[in-house]
Amino acid sequence: MKKTCCTLLCAASIFASPCVTLAADVTIDSTTMLGIAKRDISGSSKETIIPATQFLGLTADKMADGNLSLHLYGWGRSDLADNSYNNDKNAGSLTYGYLQYRFNHANANVRTGRFFVREGVVNEQIDGVSARTDLPMGFGLSVFGGATVHTAHLSGETSDGKGDTLYGGRANFRYNGLLEIGLSGVYESAAPILKTLHAAGDYRRVGGDIWVTPIKTIDIVGHSSYNPETQQFAEHSYLFNLKATQKLVLTGEFNRHFEQSYLFPRTTFSATLLNPNDKSSSAGGSTSYEISKNVEISGDYKHYTREFGSADRFGGETRVNYKDNSVRGGIGYHYLNAGQGFAITPYTSASYHELRCFAMHDSKSYFAAVDLLGNFFKEKIYNQSSAWEATTTIGYHFTPALALSGDLTYGRNPQFTEEAKALLRLTYNMTYPGTGGKK
Amino acid sequence: MKNEKMMFPLMAVVGLFVIVASCAQMKTIPGLPASHPEALAVGQQVNCAECHEDQQKGTMKAFNAFSHTRAFVKTHRFYAASDDRLCSTCHKSSFCNDCHTNKTEIKPSSRYGDRPDREFQHRGNFMTMHKIEGKLDPASCYRCHGRANNGRCVACHR
Repeated sequence: MKKTCCTLLCAASIFASPCVTLAADVTIDSTTMLGIAKRDISGSSKETIIPATQFLGLTADKMADGNLSLHLYGWGRSDLADNSYNNDKNAGSLTYGYLQYRFNHANANVRTGRFFVREGVVNEQIDGVSARTDLPMGFGLSVFGGATVHTAHLSGETSDGKGDTLYGGRANFRYNGLLEIGLSGVYESAAPILKTLHAAGDYRRVGGDIWVTPIKTIDIVGHSSYNPETQQFAEHSYLFNLKATQKLVLTGEFNRHFEQSYLFPRTTFSATLLNPNDKSSSAGGSTSYEISKNVEISGDYKHYTREFGSADRFGGETRVNYKDNSVRGGIGYHYLNAGQGFAITPYTSASYHELRCFAMHDSKSYFAAVDLLGNFFKEKIYNQSSAWEATTTIGYHFTPALALSGDLTYGRNPQFTEEAKALLRLTYNMTYPGTGGKK
Repeated sequence: MKNEKMMFPLMAVVGLFVIVASCAQMKTIPGLPASHPEALAVGQQVNCAECHEDQQKGTMKAFNAFSHTRAFVKTHRFYAASDDRLCSTCHKSSFCNDCHTNKTEIKPSSRYGDRPDREFQHRGNFMTMHKIEGKLDPASCYRCHGRANNGRCVACHR
């Protein structure tokens, strides 16, 4: 099934290629990066890594009758010195590559190729086909199916935790822009069964989502999902959003996850990380206020609960912008108050202060940025009382699309003791008239 | 068990049938434009209500809900889960995949070092911090790394 699917998709892509030349609007987004990093790892040797990385995206709109489009995006990396990640000198990934036909009405579209599906409780990457449309009387429907995308090859393992074929969909109902309810589900065949890695089984998750806007200034939105394999809920996640005025926004959020059901395949490998029976909850709120067009302040609080303890994080941030947004800056402070359950072994506290500030300027010719981040631990970690990093960037726009920039980063932290990085970045981002600008 | 396995393909077939049956009425149902007609400034927190204050049509949600306030940026997952078609009028898929990608080796904050104003996870030395943050909210990893985020974990944790 999977091989057939992949073959069909490859064939579709090859046949579609000539269509690109007929497209009215073709845009290319390219980022070429050459990084140099020196790491002094605590208790180990020094490393020099020089990865050359290319991100490349292509979008061809208005093909055929004007409603067909091609979307490609991926990256590749080659190490010119020590390995930057695991044992692979070279790596790459096709993030997405699909053809889309977009109908002029009812928000309907059909996709084929590799793409992400985000529908209600579903968050998957597939090689396959999807279709969706609005229907009369406020109803809507989306369906998808295809082969699971495997992004990891685990040394010594025959499975990456994912299965073979994947399909599902979402049905929804909307009423006058005031209410939306949706039912969604995903099914994957030949997925590893929980705790029995090499046996094939099923992965299933079903759920419902809701959006209520009783009055214009209030949104209540969220979803719950259920895992039939574990026969328990996987997730409850809800947000209350109050726009008291255009300048003042208040939010409240509640999340509860049942690890065994939510991170279903992951638990097969990461038993040392997670107790499969564990639950995690978080609840909190935030407020943001726009003092003027140029200044916005925000504050937030969140309480975390796990089986082994609870923690609190609170803080605030101020952001400013000047000169038609060409100058931007921000300063923020947060404190995490967390006990031994969250601490790095063998320490007794996970509490730390976090301070961050940044400033940037982007003109038609040059651009520059400075970013400082410091974590100050309540209890020393590996004999270090803090982890901090400073990054400076300077760049030049040769044209509105083409820019060359460089970053210098230096930091000290418990993991690497000392870390210095340099990065050269060449970006080419095409846009064309008549669209919403750079996206 | 066998009946349960048949549910999804059955639902898919019924869904497709409904789509086909509804095609005749599709022209009466309004759709979003392929892209936003006006160019919007990069890096600016867009206030949709400046232009769309009273333009809620049919079953569409009020545009005001999608104004990119600080709160919206931090809670955008709730909105994108059911309205990514609206997102795509201004953002390419790659904008989402800067973070939600399942597989990448460069942190978004490093790739976009020239954009410290963007809301990225894992800034600074996350090799140290993940030992705390991972215990605090493990489910949050899934949103960007995917549900089988084993490649990263298994490298050290067996």
